[in-house]
Amino acid sequence: MSTQFIPTQIKQRHTGPAKGSHDASDICRCHEPSEGIVVNGESYLPARRSVPIVSVRQLDQGVIELVICDRYMAEHARPAQFANLFTHDGLRLMPRPFGICEICGDEVSFIFAIVGAGTAQFAQMKAGDSIDVLGPLGKTFDLTSPDARYILVGGGLGVPPLIQAAQYLHDSGRENRTTAIFGYRKHHFADSIVGQYSDDVRSIDEEQGNVITVLDSMDAELRQISDPVVILSCGPTPMMKAVAFWASSRGIATQFNLEERMGCGYGTCVVCVVDTIHGRKKVCLEGPVFTAQELGWESER
Amino acid sequence: MTTAIERTDALSSSQSLQDMLTLPWKHPTIVAGVPWKNPVGTASGTFNVEACSRFYDVAQMGAVSTKGVSIIPWEGNPTPRTAETPAGTVNSVGLQNPGLDHYLANDLPMLKRMGANVITNVAGHSDEDYIQVVERLADKPCDMLEINVSCPNVSHGGMSVGTDAKALHHLIGALRNITDKPMIVKLSPNVTDIVGIAKAAVDAGADALSLINTLVGMRINTTTGRPILANITGGVSGPCIFPIALSFVWRVRRALPDIPIIGIGGISNGDNALEYLYAGANAVEVGAAALLDPIAPLRIARELDDLLDARPELAEKLAEGRTW
Ligand SMILES: Cc1cc2nc3c(=O)[nH]c(=O)nc-3n(C[C@H](O)[C@H](O)[C@H](O)COP(=O)(O)O)c2cc1C
Repeated sequence: MSTQFIPTQIKQRHTGPAKGSHDASDICRCHEPSEGIVVNGESYLPARRSVPIVSVRQLDQGVIELVICDRYMAEHARPAQFANLFTHDGLRLMPRPFGICEICGDEVSFIFAIVGAGTAQFAQMKAGDSIDVLGPLGKTFDLTSPDARYILVGGGLGVPPLIQAAQYLHDSGRENRTTAIFGYRKHHFADSIVGQYSDDVRSIDEEQGNVITVLDSMDAELRQISDPVVILSCGPTPMMKAVAFWASSRGIATQFNLEERMGCGYGTCVVCVVDTIHGRKKVCLEGPVFTAQELGWESER
Repeated sequence: MTTAIERTDALSSSQSLQDMLTLPWKHPTIVAGVPWKNPVGTASGTFNVEACSRFYDVAQMGAVSTKGVSIIPWEGNPTPRTAETPAGTVNSVGLQNPGLDHYLANDLPMLKRMGANVITNVAGHSDEDYIQVVERLADKPCDMLEINVSCPNVSHGGMSVGTDAKALHHLIGALRNITDKPMIVKLSPNVTDIVGIAKAAVDAGADALSLINTLVGMRINTTTGRPILANITGGVSGPCIFPIALSFVWRVRRALPDIPIIGIGGISNGDNALEYLYAGANAVEVGAAALLDPIAPLRIARELDDLLDARPELAEKLAEGRTW
């Protein structure tokens, strides 16, 4: 199955108020939007660029939401695509790829955990600061099936692309077609965010069980549904493999958003590869979305 | 947070992408008889035509050096293949590439259709591997060959040839017998006597030298106590290797006044490229900077083009393919 996504017409783009500080809209207004250009009949994507930060806030201990203003990314990003973010630190040059989370007007949000010095620097940034970005990058979830029920299974910091999928389906008039199953360590930090776009949020934390516990509890319900069911998943690899096994034994289609350690993020360096039934693929360019079948995960526990 | 290190600013060029793609080039160079429209090429392994041509017109580069190509497809090393290091990166791709047939059917025709000046970077595990690739490239439209005898991430061939003057002389002599294409030999810095290695390559018939390939390095995750790279060691590149690489170019230039040299290592702006020219390079290739911004090689070429305006003597030498 191809994961190349054919965009459907978006009926209504979420245009709520900017979620950042009061002057967020000013930050956005002052910024000259980046654009791809056409030279001699050839069109080129915008490369790395400096964009304003609209807000930075803590969602949970060590979990940060960072919102930038970039019209190009806001207009072109689709679920499961990601962007490279760069520190201002001359010692930490390499891109940090993050899944695109919410899109509101010209604003794009990311959610990440502070895992090292680079992400700690992002967390210290303030509204009005600038940040270098490249993107959107990568392929997208295949959301072309008009009557499918989408189950979004996320673990930990794997939730942003699923939030974007929920938003995309919501904005294209399919809000009643999603169920979000998010597994957290402790605090359910993304429930209120995904809840804006999905009216069926069934999250769980480690004390209560895991995402498979929730899937098991839906078993009977899912058997009743006549529409095709598609699971979109992103999170730790052991979780995704468990989801693949659970789904394939029930004949449910799955799409996984992989997170491999990347070099360039745009397909040039061959650092972030994954073994598929079609050979080694670049996660950043040929992914990050792959099916359980492509990954050979259908029979793995 | 600020550091003493100068920021590698992806957007320091004041030129718009439009200008970068359309302005005429003022300062061309010649490398081993091959005209380059400017002295800046892309380095092998950090350029892929399909990926990069979405961001800029690759024909604007002085040359593009393509990913090391082997006679059959190579799987490369296990992941993780990359680890960050201050002002640089450590990588162990292990020359994963889809093989010569794929290259000849896809990358090369695409590049020539786009009008690029193409350097085909050649990889092998044995002399026989290199010979087969070079033989098949003899009548293909690539403009130059770059023989990679310096990859630190493969167990056979690669760097083991490039660190042994005798073995290198033997290989380059054999390749010289079967190709008339301008042949660049890409040297490893992981040697004690770079001049001896460079002389061996030139004696055996190399038309030009490119240096350096990456330096062997590693990082360890102190939470687990385990190496970050699955391959344990990898190749270090980026601004952190710049002064080291520059000194390699200078040492080889001092010993070999006439051989064309392509300087590689840690270039992040036009001024870095200019330092290589002053150290004796005829041209440069940009590697890791392209991982930080797809259009970095083009931006660096534009910055250098402007810097050369104020250095007419250097520009004149470059234009004639002369060295020091
Ligand atoms: C991800 C990666 C892959 C590379 N692959 C190759 C290769 O296939 N063949 C080669 O000759 N050099 C390869 N190199 C080495 C570069 O061409 C260059 O010599 C080196 O990175 C130093 O330049 P830089 O500091 O500008 O990156 C690779 C470097 C990187 C970072």
